[in-house]
Amino acid sequence: MTVEQREQRWAEGMLAERRGEALAYERMLKEVATALRRSLAPRLVRAGLGAHEAEDLVQEILIGLHAKRDTWDSARPFLPWLHAIARYKLIDFTRHRRRETRRRVDLPLEDWLEIVESPADEANHPMWEVDRHLAVLPVSQRKIVRAIAVEGASVRNVALGSATSEGVIRMTIHRAIGRLLGAAEPPTSEPSPRNEHDQHR
Amino acid sequence: MTSTDDLIHSLASTAGARRSASLQAAFAVAGAASLACALFLVFSVIGIRHDFADMAVRMPFGFKLAYTGSLVIGTFVVALYVATPAASATALCALLPTIILLALGVLFDPTGFPIMGRTSTAVVFCVGSILFLSLPAMILMFRAMQKGAPTRPLVAGAVIGVLSASIGAIAYALACKNDGTAFVAIWYTAACAIMALIGAVVGHRVLRW
Repeated sequence: MTVEQREQRWAEGMLAERRGEALAYERMLKEVATALRRSLAPRLVRAGLGAHEAEDLVQEILIGLHAKRDTWDSARPFLPWLHAIARYKLIDFTRHRRRETRRRVDLPLEDWLEIVESPADEANHPMWEVDRHLAVLPVSQRKIVRAIAVEGASVRNVALGSATSEGVIRMTIHRAIGRLLGAAEPPTSEPSPRNEHDQHR
Repeated sequence: MTSTDDLIHSLASTAGARRSASLQAAFAVAGAASLACALFLVFSVIGIRHDFADMAVRMPFGFKLAYTGSLVIGTFVVALYVATPAASATALCALLPTIILLALGVLFDPTGFPIMGRTSTAVVFCVGSILFLSLPAMILMFRAMQKGAPTRPLVAGAVIGVLSASIGAIAYALACKNDGTAFVAIWYTAACAIMALIGAVVGHRVLRW
């Protein structure tokens, strides 16, 4: 179908709407939808959006066409009018999606502070904060970890003090570290598993 | 696919339903109401010039009226143009008389009054008054523009800003004590520019459809 035929056909569909002929208008809207779908899907894919989003955009354009159909002057050609609407909706749609993406991958200040709060600073942390982290350990492990990692005692001395072998002390520390690492796992974006995690503590 | 077909069916089922008024009528009503609001504010808040009867027959008042009047008509036509997708760009010619008057007023000021006005606060008072008087117009014209289909919300907002400023200015002409045509051309236009900026920011947010 040439551009002139299409122009005539769709303009006739718009005029049919003004006469209240729902069937002719519906047929014309379906043709518009088909044409838009065919041309928009590859464009959106090239712009990095999914092909299924083309259908959302087609619906947006159809709603816009219908809502603003009174602004089409029947003395003027229909296709340039539809082009202006489709273009506006395309720009609006991609801008909206971009904003959504930005919000999803946003880096709030709190997250940023967690990132820049580097482990090198840990020596300066007040004692109570170390204790807070160690609180996830059972009492026996906590005592040994604090003696060696915080107070700086040797494995041998700790083994002597608690009347066990150095091997047992090393094993205890190894298990304690595993536990601490588990507790220090980075929080995931979904809130629900994190809450479960908190409950396990 | 089926959801789109459903959508098309429900859209088509309202075919032929007559909407309230045409875009031109909506703009005309909003424009008249805006002018009425601005005139009411001039009479009630600012007060017209005490020598109004004497001033009204002289050239400076004529220039104010011609300049702001041509701007109201010009931006009104342009506002209808930006509210209509793929409208004819010849509508932009409606701004030509304003531009000619603006150039004449600045370049050939026959009155010889100072550009900064009669008093040191003249500019601030004048621009501030026009901004104040244009606020009701801005609200009303934005409502009318929402009935249209502006495909460039930023531009549409700026045009609404200038239109409402010119409606405010035509009302303020009744109160303005500065008769220099250069003063009028420069500072009335500055008020329009400020309103254009505000309108663009507002339009970007408000005029999505």
